Amino acid sequence: MEWLRVLGLRWRGLFLKQKLDGELDAELRTHLDMLVEENVRKGLTPEEARHAARRQFGGLEQTKELYRDQRSLPFLETLLQDLRYALRMLKKSPGFAVVAVLTLALGIGANTAVFSIVNGVLLHPLPFANADRLVVVGESEDQGKPSTTSFATFEDWKTRSKSFEDLTLYRQWQPTLMAPDEPEQLIGLRVTNNYFPTLGIRIAAGRDFTPGDDQPATRFVAILSHALWQRRFKSDPAIVGKAINLSGVSFTVVGVLPANYESLIATDLRASGVEIWGALGYDATLPDACRTCRHLRGIGRLRSGVTVGQADAELNSITHQLSKEHPTEFSSGGAMVMPVYQELLGGVIGTLYVLLGAVGFVLLIACANLANLLLARATHREREMAIRAALGAGRARIIRQVLVENCSLAMAGGLVGLLLANWMPEILSLVPAMNLPRLDQVRLDWHVLGFAFAIALLTGILSGIVPAIRMTKINLQTALQQGGRGSSLGGGGMRSFLVVSEIALSLTLLLGAGLLLRSLVRLVNVRSGFEPAHLLTLRVSPVGARYAKDEPVRDYIARANERIRSIPGVLASGSSSQIPFGGNFDQTWLHVDGKMNANPALDPSAERYIISEGYLEAMGIHLVRGRDFTRHDRETTEQVMIVNETAAREIWPGADPIGQHVHVGDSKSPPRTVVGIVDDVHHYTLDAAPTMQFYLPVLQTDTSDLVFAVRCACEPSQIANTVGRAIRSVDETLPVYRVTPMSEYVAATTADRRLALILLGSFAAIALLLSVVGIYGVTEYSVAQRAREIGIRMALGAERKEVFGLMLRQGLMLSSAGVALGTIFSFTLTGFLRGLVFGIAVTDPLTLLCAAAILSAAALLACWVPSRKVMSVDPIMALRHD
Amino acid sequence: MAPPRGEVLQGTLDLIVLQTLHAMGPLHGYGIAQRVQQVSEDLMKLNQGTLYPALLRLEQRGWISSKWGSSENNRKAKFYSLTRAGRTQLLAETESWERMTALMARFLGGTEGA
Repeated sequence: MEWLRVLGLRWRGLFLKQKLDGELDAELRTHLDMLVEENVRKGLTPEEARHAARRQFGGLEQTKELYRDQRSLPFLETLLQDLRYALRMLKKSPGFAVVAVLTLALGIGANTAVFSIVNGVLLHPLPFANADRLVVVGESEDQGKPSTTSFATFEDWKTRSKSFEDLTLYRQWQPTLMAPDEPEQLIGLRVTNNYFPTLGIRIAAGRDFTPGDDQPATRFVAILSHALWQRRFKSDPAIVGKAINLSGVSFTVVGVLPANYESLIATDLRASGVEIWGALGYDATLPDACRTCRHLRGIGRLRSGVTVGQADAELNSITHQLSKEHPTEFSSGGAMVMPVYQELLGGVIGTLYVLLGAVGFVLLIACANLANLLLARATHREREMAIRAALGAGRARIIRQVLVENCSLAMAGGLVGLLLANWMPEILSLVPAMNLPRLDQVRLDWHVLGFAFAIALLTGILSGIVPAIRMTKINLQTALQQGGRGSSLGGGGMRSFLVVSEIALSLTLLLGAGLLLRSLVRLVNVRSGFEPAHLLTLRVSPVGARYAKDEPVRDYIARANERIRSIPGVLASGSSSQIPFGGNFDQTWLHVDGKMNANPALDPSAERYIISEGYLEAMGIHLVRGRDFTRHDRETTEQVMIVNETAAREIWPGADPIGQHVHVGDSKSPPRTVVGIVDDVHHYTLDAAPTMQFYLPVLQTDTSDLVFAVRCACEPSQIANTVGRAIRSVDETLPVYRVTPMSEYVAATTADRRLALILLGSFAAIALLLSVVGIYGVTEYSVAQRAREIGIRMALGAERKEVFGLMLRQGLMLSSAGVALGTIFSFTLTGFLRGLVFGIAVTDPLTLLCAAAILSAAALLACWVPSRKVMSVDPIMALRHD
Repeated sequence: MAPPRGEVLQGTLDLIVLQTLHAMGPLHGYGIAQRVQQVSEDLMKLNQGTLYPALLRLEQRGWISSKWGSSENNRKAKFYSLTRAGRTQLLAETESWERMTALMARFLGGTEGA
């Protein structure tokens, strides 16, 4: 600990310099006086005595110097000196300082902003204990992600596998909180009783679910999120044990989760986190527990030491065994295990790294620009540096001085950049319906501040090192003699190289942004199969004892439609069990007469929409052939269905589906007759081909999910309140929620692409701006340097235009070299964009051409302006100048 | 080539100062210099200025402490005195110095005999 004490004292010495210097002077003077006195006593004259004392004492200044070095931290002391000097120098050239700081602020700010996203989304640990051992488990289908499973299969996994410490199941649950003042649809999960212990989450108040809760008869217990408890129960301290009415059933609240619990399972694109949990309460006797009832999702905690691969292999072999034991209930018989973080973030990792790479380019460009500015300034500071060198400053000392100056610039740039990065959450909120998980974690924390500091320091050194070294190569004599008029440094080659690199990097960014822009345009122009404009959607949950039977639900839908259609401006209205991009999926089997497999699990499955008459018209889904449903398709009439074109093509290739018979869901159910064919609709994303779909009339089916689609001749938001009131007026106890224009659901599917485009586009714009400044600077400098040469040329009879052309040519050479280099560079890098590009090749020549043209035009402008200056060079003045 | 007579070995100055303060009690810099010169009977040539960085070093390590006071002739002077830690350090260094000189004596005695 002794060194710490010494360091502390020395640190103190740094700040008490003047006081301590005074004390040292006094002490040494006393010593000398005493020596002189003694010498006088020995018989010397005062004069001799003083000389002798000096001799005996040794070098006074040397002693002080040694003493001061011992007292303080000499390195820091000179650093402070350098810093003070740097600030003074920058104050003397505020224009340079402002340009430099802004350049760096753009570079560092953009980097910090992107890092704050990466930090929040990827690096911030998941809020679970030992999150690295948490995995998602499911049966494997084709999406490359674990799919759903059934209760029966899950029970077998649980008893037969050895890889897991714990396995838990959950299913979606959207209960309606039946409060008299304001009924509300909640987002919830029903979970097995070991769900929270598996995730490593403790209940804050009350208790966790017990095995006793997890039974069909006793499952009516609920755990609330902290937010829900605050929002709907006014933070009632006695909430535990109270009864609440969920969808007409009484549940007992048994616990409340801690405030910091961050729910990561969003069940809907537009939903925030889960707010309520109920017990799953399954047993093998329930119809929902059947082996083909695949609607449950599994999470497991691996035993320590077990890898994901081992667990995956084990679960696969168990599932293959199961598919042999139950040959008619599996289609593939595979299983899949995936780390939770990959499941949650897998889709965004690629995008984030592309952005991080792109923003790194911006920083490089900013560095190159600053280095360029410094090189230009170096020629003006030659004399200063020469004087420093002449006074004995070593090479290292001069380099250090320049780097300190540059790093103080970078720090200032970093501070301004932090201000920019601070707005990142606001910038992100510009992209509506962002689909990126964990965005709430994006903020300025110590990691981000540390990153900004480190990157500022790096920038300062990176951009300063070349100019600094160059400054030490001054020829002392000529520099002092010329007195700053000419330059012995040159540096033209270096500066050109920097500008060419800047242009090359900018081209890459412009090309990337261009590819994303064109992809987005293509994506937005994909025919979705319906007309999202002028379309309002509203959800209702017909729950409670009153709606236990089908007839009241059908009656409710008919009356609601009737009231909606009577609103002025409404063109069409209808309901469906689910809507495209709505986030839910409902698939079931189509067992077609004459085309059934021996294993019914291998029959085709398709998306099911249970719709009222008027739905297809309201959505603008085009009826290709046959007829739409009418109010006369009732339980007692012929059972009918409509299929989409993909289903028609794949199930009945070359034949007419109309009039064919299909058993929906269960191969033993009564057959339905196909009466119509409609256009394909994109249900999940715009960038994948639609799958098979079919429609059933709600008058012949039962449904618990209900979405109204209302088309009007207006902006959907204008009629939102009126339509909501009209629906509520049918039954005040049912909540109407998620009242959203259809266009917002569509926009949500392209949100991550739009974010990538906005960010990459801004980076490209910054890069373009910086490159233009760079070219401008080089050209202007070159004009100034060559003023004499130009003067001579003109005195010898050169036309002004020729000289102008000369200067312009130089700039164009640089930009063409940059574009050429950038093209090569881009082709090696755009492959990283493959995941984000849609509908065009990453090497799309038209995009490249546009990017090159924009860049070249900007470059031309940037050298045009300073080159014009040669037109005003007066040959006499230019020649006299030297 | 023999080193100049009385050159102070690296590190010995610390020991000399500590021992001086131990023997004489609190002293100012001049006093320490005088005493050192007196004891060494001018065998050791000391640039008195070099004392001060050494004093600072010892103070930073907590082996001595300093206080402003008045000299015999009523001059303002800084007085140094040994601390408890300094006393411990002095003992330890004296011991190791003695071991070292004994060892060296044994070696040098041996070569003389040969």
